[in-house]
Amino acid sequence: MTPPPARAQRGIRRRLLTRLHAAIAVVIVVTLALPAVLPASALSTYILLELTAIVTVGVSLLMGCAGQVSLGQGAFYACGAYTAALVALHGLPTPLGLVAAPVVAALLAVTIGVPVLTLRGHHLAFATLAMQLICLSLVGRMSSMGGDIGLQGIPRLSVASFELGEDRDYAYLAWGALALVVVATRNVIRSRPGRALRALASSEVAAESLGVPVGRYKLAVFALAGGFAGLAGGVYAFYMGYVAPASFPLLLSFEYIVMTVVGGLGTISGALVGPAVVTLVVQALNRIATLQGMPSYAPTVLSYAAYSALLVASILFLPDGLVGNKRVRRLLLRLEND
Amino acid sequence: MSAFFSYLVGGVALGSGFALIGSGLVMVHCVTRVVNLSQGMYAVVAGLSAATFFGMGAPHGVAELAAIGVAAGVGFLTGLVAMAGRATTPQSSLIITFGLAIFAYAAESLLWGDQPRSFPGLPGAIEVADVRIQKQSLLVIASTAVIFAMLHLFLERTYVGKKLRACSSNPYAARVVGIDVKRMGLLAFGLGGFLGGVAGVLLGPLRPISFDSDLTLVIDGFAAAILGGLARPLMALLGGLLLGVAESMVAGYAKASYQTEVALVLMLAIMVGQRARLATIHAEAS
Amino acid sequence: MNAILEVKDLVVRYDAATALDRVSLTVGRGEMVALIGPNGAGKSTLVDALSGIVRPASGHISVRGRFAHVPEGRQLFPDLTVDDNLLLGACRSGDRDPSWIYALLPDLAGIRRRRADSLSGGQQQMVAVGRALMARPEVLAIDELSLGLAPIVVAALSDRLASLHRTEGLAVLLIEQNARLALDLCSRAYVLEAGRIVSEGPSAQLARSAAVANAYLGGGVALGT
Repeated sequence: MTPPPARAQRGIRRRLLTRLHAAIAVVIVVTLALPAVLPASALSTYILLELTAIVTVGVSLLMGCAGQVSLGQGAFYACGAYTAALVALHGLPTPLGLVAAPVVAALLAVTIGVPVLTLRGHHLAFATLAMQLICLSLVGRMSSMGGDIGLQGIPRLSVASFELGEDRDYAYLAWGALALVVVATRNVIRSRPGRALRALASSEVAAESLGVPVGRYKLAVFALAGGFAGLAGGVYAFYMGYVAPASFPLLLSFEYIVMTVVGGLGTISGALVGPAVVTLVVQALNRIATLQGMPSYAPTVLSYAAYSALLVASILFLPDGLVGNKRVRRLLLRLEND
Repeated sequence: MSAFFSYLVGGVALGSGFALIGSGLVMVHCVTRVVNLSQGMYAVVAGLSAATFFGMGAPHGVAELAAIGVAAGVGFLTGLVAMAGRATTPQSSLIITFGLAIFAYAAESLLWGDQPRSFPGLPGAIEVADVRIQKQSLLVIASTAVIFAMLHLFLERTYVGKKLRACSSNPYAARVVGIDVKRMGLLAFGLGGFLGGVAGVLLGPLRPISFDSDLTLVIDGFAAAILGGLARPLMALLGGLLLGVAESMVAGYAKASYQTEVALVLMLAIMVGQRARLATIHAEAS
Repeated sequence: MNAILEVKDLVVRYDAATALDRVSLTVGRGEMVALIGPNGAGKSTLVDALSGIVRPASGHISVRGRFAHVPEGRQLFPDLTVDDNLLLGACRSGDRDPSWIYALLPDLAGIRRRRADSLSGGQQQMVAVGRALMARPEVLAIDELSLGLAPIVVAALSDRLASLHRTEGLAVLLIEQNARLALDLCSRAYVLEAGRIVSEGPSAQLARSAAVANAYLGGGVALGT
């Protein structure tokens, strides 16, 4: 079969590109409109979904492009939240807290990453798990961080004279943070270090022999993912108004992994689709679990079961995630054309 | 001084339990290259099942053995899921076992509720030179020694044991020679379930078990196993004992709630230290 | 022909790369057949496919007798003893008595309790062959018998193989970069290059052909003329 002539190929690519741009525009419009129309309870789910998506983009980058499994990403989320909370509670201007959150989280990632990233595979996974547990238990003991009870009464975020008082304001703030993170990730993936990273994911040894500074890149991605999680945590702190160790359990890190895997590692759209799908499924199950006649522990049990079932099913049947899977892609294309 | 010995013996007993869980991790990792994060679940399931069987009136011995059987079966099942699919890499399997561990949380709280359970072990204590030692602790230590000896004999002397070691030693050659590597992997998982089950049944009377003990136990087991680089069961024994004694001392002399942190920090230190030593060896070689 | 091993149009792919492209060969009962070719031609892939370790994309493999495989680079179980290595070879056959191996390869009897990774290259190769023989094969595939071994050791091993072939009627598929050795030992040969069979025929004929002589036999000096 002879390939189509060059001009036809350019035409095909241009059509695909406009279709892609159209899709992106639709997504942007819809997600911007949603906060205005969603009822209050759905809005809070939406905000948490956006925050989760921010963290998941980082995890997807870490797992998909750099090939590192982090089972403790929740620690950076917590770090960002606590940083923002402490800054605000000490009387400093609140936007400073929002800026400090990702920075401090990234610094934490670098500090932890230097020893921990020398480990490979399962050692790394376990070390990140341990790191989150250690961080949480340390924070839980320090009275300056509120101990087990945590920090309450975090003031609302206010920029200049505008105070973000409504839930809707935080929905837009989270949207902005997510957009920022997506653009940053896109630039990273496209840059030369980014392409080198992709080489990393497939074979560290090969990458090293090509002169790629493997250690430095791994650390950079780890710090970036940590920073993303920190940013999300910062928004979380201002939105919720309180933070406690119990808000950041290990289950949270597990959620990020599930969403990354379900969506598809290493792709931005996967990192957005994954959280959306998983959140919807869990919400639906929650609805069932809180029906009349269901026992009180049903919600937690069902959500644990749902997350793990989704994860295991994903890995076994859709190893490339929803976005990466060829069958799903073909289905979407067929839908588009009909 | 008697307090010291009391903590020491308690630590050795605790550490024996960790060693059993750790050796389960080592077995599975050696044969399948998978790190089984649900290894803690087997001990919890065994402990909770034993409590249930006792509650149903089963006598000593029967309840424990039945519970261990349950754990071995669960081990086998987790192996089936973790290794399902043709293209599943060890990395994916690790995540699957993490997922299974979380699923276990759900199943356990569903079946047994959220209250910690315990069941009676060997009652009473003996006095040795002014030190009070619980008989259950002695049972734990003795049983662990016997199990490790049996494990050693199994691996060294039986044909199946050699097949398992072959899978660990050279997986490619194992397939060349005609060993069914998948079946050996399932056997390893079942064995891990058995070892975890024994740990659960032995430790149950000493510390109450509930559905959230999973995680602390697998961390303890991992910390024990990592001393031998997840490759040698005997090192898991040593690592477990070290860890158990360390935790016991911290609980006795400092604050009891720091136990898991001790395990975590020790484990991290060992991992990073091993890696650093490996790096210097590589650097010197090149 | 009463072939004990038959491969027809075998295609093996690793992701996008085609390792074997419609390879066909046969080994008759009691025949010694050579497969020669350069590094990376796909010879080891072919044997892996015969062993069932690699799944072909298409094509047909038929093995009409017990098959055993001596892998490239020996691939022993390094931390197990010589005895255990031999015992594990009996996985397929079920006959776990290694005494006939020690009779055939008496050098191994003295080192039976030693760890496999403490042996010399020649000893390891003997263990690898012994391990494969424990499966009581009717056809034996040997991948790079001579790699890294001194010529005198290789000669001793080849003698043993030849005598086994004579006494037991063992069919052998000898995969070798050392074409001279292979063509000496075997009556028929195939040449595999970049995943394709490029020539085949009686060894003497191949040895005389200019292409083979140039590529594999040091050029210019063809055997048998």
